[in-house]
Amino acid sequence: MADREVDQQLVERVQRGDKHAFDLLVTKYQRKLGRLISRFVRDPGDAQDVTQDAFIKAYRAMSGFRGESAFYTWLYRIGINTAKNHLLQNKRRPPTSTYFDAEDSESFEDASLLQEVSTPENELMSKQVIEVVQTSLQQLPEDLRSALTLREIEGLSYEEIASVMNCPVGTVRSRIFRAREAVAENLRPLLETSKDKRW
Amino acid sequence: MMKNKISALMDGELFTDEANHIIEQLKSQSSAQQDWQIYHLIGDVLRQPEVITADVSKVVHERLQFEPLVVAPQRSMTEKARNIALSAAASLMAVVAVSWMAMQATPNKSPQLALQTSPLSRASFVLKPQVNAYLAAHQELSPSSDVQGGSAFIRTTIYSATEDVAP
Repeated sequence: MADREVDQQLVERVQRGDKHAFDLLVTKYQRKLGRLISRFVRDPGDAQDVTQDAFIKAYRAMSGFRGESAFYTWLYRIGINTAKNHLLQNKRRPPTSTYFDAEDSESFEDASLLQEVSTPENELMSKQVIEVVQTSLQQLPEDLRSALTLREIEGLSYEEIASVMNCPVGTVRSRIFRAREAVAENLRPLLETSKDKRW
Repeated sequence: MMKNKISALMDGELFTDEANHIIEQLKSQSSAQQDWQIYHLIGDVLRQPEVITADVSKVVHERLQFEPLVVAPQRSMTEKARNIALSAAASLMAVVAVSWMAMQATPNKSPQLALQTSPLSRASFVLKPQVNAYLAAHQELSPSSDVQGGSAFIRTTIYSATEDVAP
């Protein structure tokens, strides 16, 4: 079952009245959508509110989603519209200097804008999380680090990674899981001590 | 084992039945939900290491409690059956069309075989000597191509008076 099919499964569950399935979609896409919205809404607090609103709008519109496009494309479109409406309500013009489309949002990288997402309250926590993940990744054995990097950063499938690393697909699956779990082990204490557990 | 499958699920690398089973588990087990969340956080940090946005999932979850259930009209079986029937009909039409075109392009074999098995015989009609020049001049212009598969067996004959007087 491909990634898009997993989304479709979750969408169909939501359409049958399963709210928990929508929670899983929110967890999966919240940061991608948050980054996208922060490109329109510069104020970090407002960006978070708009992100929440976009998810609620997506939930309300879920009955009309027929799977003709990928869920994330549809979600990002709602995110962009919500952000633009927010700007209009606040008498601000949406950015027009850089045309931006929902289809492009996955490859969106703009560090200078992303930096503005952090609020003074969460900036320290954000840095710590990033540091723990990066340090944990560097401490992983080479085969685990490569497998996780090829999956998360390069976006390769297990079969492609198996071909690159010259090992069975089952081994790839195991390596990626072990890598994730090793990083997660280091992250959990930090996240549990977080004041508002907003990570 | 469960964590292993959550990891594979988020990569889209589980079979449908297994994926559905894990999704069910994710609904009911908070520890599994945390694993799903933290694995996604790791992925997000690796892809965008500059900064990470705060988690809005809990707030969205709380707001969802005030939202009515979404129940989309399910695609009825009749609609699915209609789609399948239309697909099958289109496929059948395509096969028939291709077959028909192939038959049009290929000469009919049966008459050829029949002609091959029968011995060639001399034309029974007799032409007058005056038409020989006409036949010779117009042989290349004769519409032989209209006779599919038969042109190979048609001979142009010329009448000669000398043959008739042979011993």
